[in-house]
Amino acid sequence: MDIILGYVTTILVFFFTYNIFTLGLNIQFGYTGILNFTVITFMAIGGYVAAVLAMPKAPAGSGIYYILGLNLPWPIAALGGVLAAGLLGYLIGQIALKRLRSDYLAIVTLATGTLLYGLIGNGTSIFDGWQGLFNVPQPFAGFRTWTPLGYSIFFTIVTAVIFVFLWLFANRIYKSPLGRVMRAVRDDQDVVEAFGKNTFKIRMTAMVLGSMYVGVGGVLTIAYITALSPAGWTTGETFVVWAALLVGGRGNNFGAIVGSFLVAVVFNEATRYLPQIPAHPNLIPDIRYVLIGLAVILSVYFRPQGVFPEKKNTFFEVPLGDNSKTIEEHLAGGLSKVGEQ
Amino acid sequence: MATISNDPSTQVNVALEVESLKKSFGGVAAVDGVSFSVEKGTITGLIGPNGAGKSTMVNLISGALKPDSGHIRLDGHEIGGLEPHQIGARGLIRTFQISREYPDMTVMENLIVSAANQGERLINVCFRPSVGKKRDRELVERALHTLVTFGLYPLRNEYARNLSGGQKRLLELSRAVMADPKVLLLDEPMAGVNPALIEKLGEHIVGLNKELGTTFVLVEHNLEIVEKICSKVIVVALGATLAVGTMAELRKNQAVVEAYLGGDVRERVGS
Amino acid sequence: MSLFFLTLGFGLVTASVLSLLSVGLSLQFGVTNFVNFAYGSYLSAGMLFTWTFSAKLHFPFVLATVCGVILTAILALIVNEVVFEPFAKRRKSIFYMLIVTFGLSLLLDSILQIFYGVGFDKFPIKQSAAIKIGPFDFTGVQLLIILVAVVSMVVIHLLLTRTSLGKKMRAMSDNPDLAKISGIDTKSVTRATWAISGALAGLGGVVLALNTVYFETTTGDSLLFVIFAAVILGGIGQTYGAMLGALVIGVVTEVSAVWVSSAYKTDVAFLILVIMLLVRPQGIIASQGKA
Repeated sequence: MDIILGYVTTILVFFFTYNIFTLGLNIQFGYTGILNFTVITFMAIGGYVAAVLAMPKAPAGSGIYYILGLNLPWPIAALGGVLAAGLLGYLIGQIALKRLRSDYLAIVTLATGTLLYGLIGNGTSIFDGWQGLFNVPQPFAGFRTWTPLGYSIFFTIVTAVIFVFLWLFANRIYKSPLGRVMRAVRDDQDVVEAFGKNTFKIRMTAMVLGSMYVGVGGVLTIAYITALSPAGWTTGETFVVWAALLVGGRGNNFGAIVGSFLVAVVFNEATRYLPQIPAHPNLIPDIRYVLIGLAVILSVYFRPQGVFPEKKNTFFEVPLGDNSKTIEEHLAGGLSKVGEQ
Repeated sequence: MATISNDPSTQVNVALEVESLKKSFGGVAAVDGVSFSVEKGTITGLIGPNGAGKSTMVNLISGALKPDSGHIRLDGHEIGGLEPHQIGARGLIRTFQISREYPDMTVMENLIVSAANQGERLINVCFRPSVGKKRDRELVERALHTLVTFGLYPLRNEYARNLSGGQKRLLELSRAVMADPKVLLLDEPMAGVNPALIEKLGEHIVGLNKELGTTFVLVEHNLEIVEKICSKVIVVALGATLAVGTMAELRKNQAVVEAYLGGDVRERVGS
Repeated sequence: MSLFFLTLGFGLVTASVLSLLSVGLSLQFGVTNFVNFAYGSYLSAGMLFTWTFSAKLHFPFVLATVCGVILTAILALIVNEVVFEPFAKRRKSIFYMLIVTFGLSLLLDSILQIFYGVGFDKFPIKQSAAIKIGPFDFTGVQLLIILVAVVSMVVIHLLLTRTSLGKKMRAMSDNPDLAKISGIDTKSVTRATWAISGALAGLGGVVLALNTVYFETTTGDSLLFVIFAAVILGGIGQTYGAMLGALVIGVVTEVSAVWVSSAYKTDVAFLILVIMLLVRPQGIIASQGKA
């Protein structure tokens, strides 16, 4: 029973964190039309920075090297990680969001991802190179004496609460005037600009917000697994998030949940149990990526709006029942007679 | 040309003033010292043969391109070289030659999102959601009025991408109205529009001009509608101002007739 | 000083490799007007196909290269027919085209990995002794790379200026709508462009592998943004700009090894890309309306 529960909690944490990545990408791409081709790098930066803030100094002579090691309490470390991810988004935005075609931003995100992957891997003194960080202290581990399962359940609840909060906030942005302008930017940036709105600022807001969302996911990931190395954030993982968003439904946060569930949980977990072929240890992951790549291409071809398309937004409407008056007469009476639908 | 006056008393009435504006691409001058002024509350036409530099002028005035030299003044304030959104925020709104609606938003949303000051700030999302809601109510009311005026009310909840070409033209104009512009710069609003709708669009422009006092600059190929609704017409050719006057005056102007239409003129200028 | 000339020599070789790759990418962008994020996979495919012909089937190396390059061109053609053509028909926005090429890069890379595995490999050819030319020391292979690049650039130049296909490609690059109206069969020009782009990616992949000796399936992707840097530096969609960009990026990244560790030479390319985007995003040779 404990084994099953432990498995379920792990899957749930996995599900919620991927959901948070997908929400972040939805704010960037689904709302605002920003092509971020290195989603997973923001997860890594968020996770790494939170970890080195929470970890004590690397013991001398251990062959382990990393920066900072401030031994800070987790809430502060987590905040640091999220802000670092946001800062990376801000820097990329400064380079590529100023009135350039969307191709350029895509190129810069991809280039940044490749660059940081190499820098972090080869630069052994930053986050311990290819070996990666491990033995990251778990948040609230000293809070009380936990059983392993008890801690897993506690962590799952924390993750769930954070996810629900972020989901509600993403919805609130969507429905707000800001979200409306973001969607207009997605549909035609030049027109929004001509209407007197600073589209750079709007896109930058979405870029940084989305990056911070992904950063939250990264912090949760490293806090739960207590380790992270470059092998854990290869380019392929970015596609998993893209596939989840595109399958679920761009611009629709509910779709993002369904997509995350289908791609990151059902598909990922199902392929994990395929029999390994000893001569080809990489065959299964490769086939998995072939299918993810196909999912991205096919969903764009057949159903670019996803399984759950963006919902149509209607506003306050004149009550339909009252046919005795024309719309002009209704309007003459002002909005007092106009109800919300 | 003579209408550009340095007399300060007439400057007060000038909404948009362009002075010695120049822009060249790779050594070729597209706009070569054009000057004109647009009086407040008028509908002014801007015409010229293909390649006269009209599109470049629109892009310069709206900030999409940066001028090499010269001045553009809106209400007496220099706007040349500003970013497009700064110019838009100062009250000069432009439309585009090809209809550019927000395809994946409804007609209603297309209008509401075009208004200024919607409270579209992150801080409002976090802490003051009521700011947006209150403003939204005002905007919805205005948008409904506008949609009724333009006959788009039945389509209010339709995605803009599903509209016909003519409906998209009406949407563009009604969207521009929502922004409360001081000057509305229409870049070939009648392009690809059927004669009946041209008539209708023309009526809307005149109506808005009368009711709201909006200043219109109409960059247009269709001289018939220009003659009908514009009180003053500026002719540009080779990137410079060729003549200014009413359509009737211009038709008598031999220079305009030749430069604008080449050889057999009279039948095309229409009389 | 000798270190300077040594790295400058390397720079010329790297520039030669990059020129093939960046011209291939830029030509295709000019005609189709979208960035191909799967270009790195074509590059990898070229080197791996050639490896199969030479190391497995024991073809003479030149013949193996010809076969590998042709096969890559065919791959590019097939991808265009199966993936891009249907999308173009549906008039998908540039957004979605980019996502599709991005997804395609994962798809092609994974397929290549299934067949070729993840390890390093090298071509079965001997390294030759250094030859001294002026202040430079070049190996025979390096000289061959430079020769291949120079000949290819001349061929591309002649193609663009002397042949009707080249003129049509330039017309489409300048103004696709006008090209269509003036009766150019844009579909077949697009096809030809993909074949040329694929061939250049394949050839570039082979000379890259010759230059670095060892390669793996992901080599193409790790070089992708260096190619982008060269293309953007020259002005995206500009063929001669791409040549110029390749020369600058190739030489600067290699010569930078005089001052910074050569492990960071791709980072130097990134730095150039960033500075370029901040200062002159339209590239050295600007094309109207494409920035």
